[in-house]
Amino acid sequence: MLEWIQRGLSQGRITTRYPRAGQAALADIATTGPTRAFLAPGARPLATRAGGLRRSIHVRHIDCGSDGSEEWEIQALWNPFYDIQRLGFFLTNAPRHADVLLVTGPVTAPMRGPLQRTWTVMPEPKALIAVGDEACSEGLCRADALTAGGVEAVMAVDVYVPGSPPPPIAILNGLLLAAGLPVPGQDGDGTAGTAGDSSARKASYGSTRTASDGSRGEAGDGVEGQEAA
Amino acid sequence: MSVVQQPARATTGYPPERLGAIPEPAPAGEVRLRVGALALASSARAMHEAGARFVTVFLADTPERSLIAAFALRGELILLRVPASGDAVCESIGAWWPAARWAERELAELHGIQFSGEDRYAARLTAPDPDSVERQVSGLDVFSIPYGPVRSGIFEAIQFHIETGGEDVPRIHTRPFFKRRGMEDRFVGLGPEAGVRVAERVAGIASCAYAACFAQAVERAVGVQAPRRAERWRAVYCELERMACHLDVIAKQAETTALYVGQARFQILKEQVMRLRSRLTGSRFARGMIVAGGVRGEGTMDLDELLAALDRIERDLRRDRRMFLGTASMTDRLIGSGRLPRALVEEYGAVGPLARGSGLSTDARHERPYGNYTRLGLRVVSERDTDAMARVRVRFGELSESLRILRQTVDHLRRRDGELRTELPAAGEGAACGWVEAPQGELVMWVELREGLLRRVNIASPSLRNWALFDHAFPKDVLTDFAFIEHSFGLTPAGADR
Repeated sequence: MLEWIQRGLSQGRITTRYPRAGQAALADIATTGPTRAFLAPGARPLATRAGGLRRSIHVRHIDCGSDGSEEWEIQALWNPFYDIQRLGFFLTNAPRHADVLLVTGPVTAPMRGPLQRTWTVMPEPKALIAVGDEACSEGLCRADALTAGGVEAVMAVDVYVPGSPPPPIAILNGLLLAAGLPVPGQDGDGTAGTAGDSSARKASYGSTRTASDGSRGEAGDGVEGQEAA
Repeated sequence: MSVVQQPARATTGYPPERLGAIPEPAPAGEVRLRVGALALASSARAMHEAGARFVTVFLADTPERSLIAAFALRGELILLRVPASGDAVCESIGAWWPAARWAERELAELHGIQFSGEDRYAARLTAPDPDSVERQVSGLDVFSIPYGPVRSGIFEAIQFHIETGGEDVPRIHTRPFFKRRGMEDRFVGLGPEAGVRVAERVAGIASCAYAACFAQAVERAVGVQAPRRAERWRAVYCELERMACHLDVIAKQAETTALYVGQARFQILKEQVMRLRSRLTGSRFARGMIVAGGVRGEGTMDLDELLAALDRIERDLRRDRRMFLGTASMTDRLIGSGRLPRALVEEYGAVGPLARGSGLSTDARHERPYGNYTRLGLRVVSERDTDAMARVRVRFGELSESLRILRQTVDHLRRRDGELRTELPAAGEGAACGWVEAPQGELVMWVELREGLLRRVNIASPSLRNWALFDHAFPKDVLTDFAFIEHSFGLTPAGADR
């Protein structure tokens, strides 16, 4: 066991810094596809609905017919490179403890019931994130007898994370948007989801938040990528 | 008989005369035999006696509507074709090949093919009801746990019915098909170019294997050969994918035995492979690189840099592997758990690291070498212990082998230049099988093309074939062993359900 610890200490921190807009580091951690998420029109982040819900957000995942790669990318968020527990996101196995539901896949017929039940038992306020092209829209799987062709055909979606599959950094972006936490590089530079939501988010934090926004929102203050370590 | 490209040999144990079969023309590596409707069961039995391995049974439309049973025997893929006439009842081959039962049920439920002697099931296999619970074990304090389709943790949807008295597990029943998206039908009417993109999304974690398998089937169907350099690039993508999948299984194995520090180390290695793929192809799953007829282009990374990155990964892997295998609290849980005797694995026609952990040496890259593997000496990693530990050891062995293949292939790529793509004929026609060794095991696809468009695609995924074995993986194990026996299989429901 000592050896494991020594090995970890000798490697040092490897946490990835959240990429600023147009940063070169993006090439290393993301794909050529979209690398960010979008807040649905009219959807309100959790922080605007419950003042205290900021640093302990519990996440539940349900697979409704993905191709398996989205699960890998969501799992990657809990690996040492992304380690989103330090941002206050925790994985929970009980839907009754969950604030955010990550849904992957176009919602196949046998999964429609389990999805609705999972969503129903989650306490308010809650947010639903559609992860992957097939969950966001019809994607490859158009609506037919086998699939609903996207989550929004079954229930309202709060945040869309497009991509096939979206890289972990895009899913992290989606979680930050759903929670209403500041997104580095997307605050005030006009690149945030829709025109209105960055100002709405700022307003919701009130005066206590604005001072710390810059530093607390950093998704990583470690070295940039493992190569520099 | 003059059209037969591959003459039937008397030594192979399946002379067509003995099966009462008529040979038909086929691309190299495939043997196609037409048998009478009543001779399928006896032919399947002859295959069993000859020591063949059942692959799949599916419905085809070329040259006519027929049922095809595929077997692997001595470096060849043997396709027994039975013309399907109207609503005639087919003989079930499930008695000889238990692995065929799921495939037959799928055909019966989706295509209305009737099989004689088939068990009648109340529950549908391909459209499962998450709330139905079927009990078979009775007794004091025996209860049934329906585990899934909503899993704890971030896992794909599948359901297990666990019948247990609390500790020992008398019966486990696996129920796949919660994720059936009808991917095989979504190919129909597309061109080969778009078809590869669909193939990549059948089982996302094995994108390259599915894409390469589909591309090879199309190439064989229309009779073109991908250039050597393209085959080398495909091998690079497929081996990187194998590494990512194996590292993922090992990380999950560490997680289930509560060795979280080990889990973190292997997650780091996996993420390094994912990022390497991202730098090489622009996609963390190397999607979009393989096309029918070759590859889209060169990797976007300097090859010396790629070799240096592989060296770094190997150095870290060697150290982490030594620590992993030296941690007794972890290995004690795996040794002796989830034993799958060799006879059982053979009976079910299981493939991949699962079969190789039970002493078999089935590996499509070795049995029927394709693409770049015809020019490489492949070391098939096989362990005889049959337990979860053996499957972990196989995966470690294959990681080293993948690194060796990668280094050799990148070296070839660096030294020689060449074409990357062969043009496909504009309106290609034909039907053929393609096969690759996916990280989960042997993957076989049947592809039919008519006037350049896809008419029918059938996928024999390693995950579905191996999952039938999960019902038997708890001979002496207890309920708490469930998680790491499941992860030692290393399968993907997306590939199984399609």
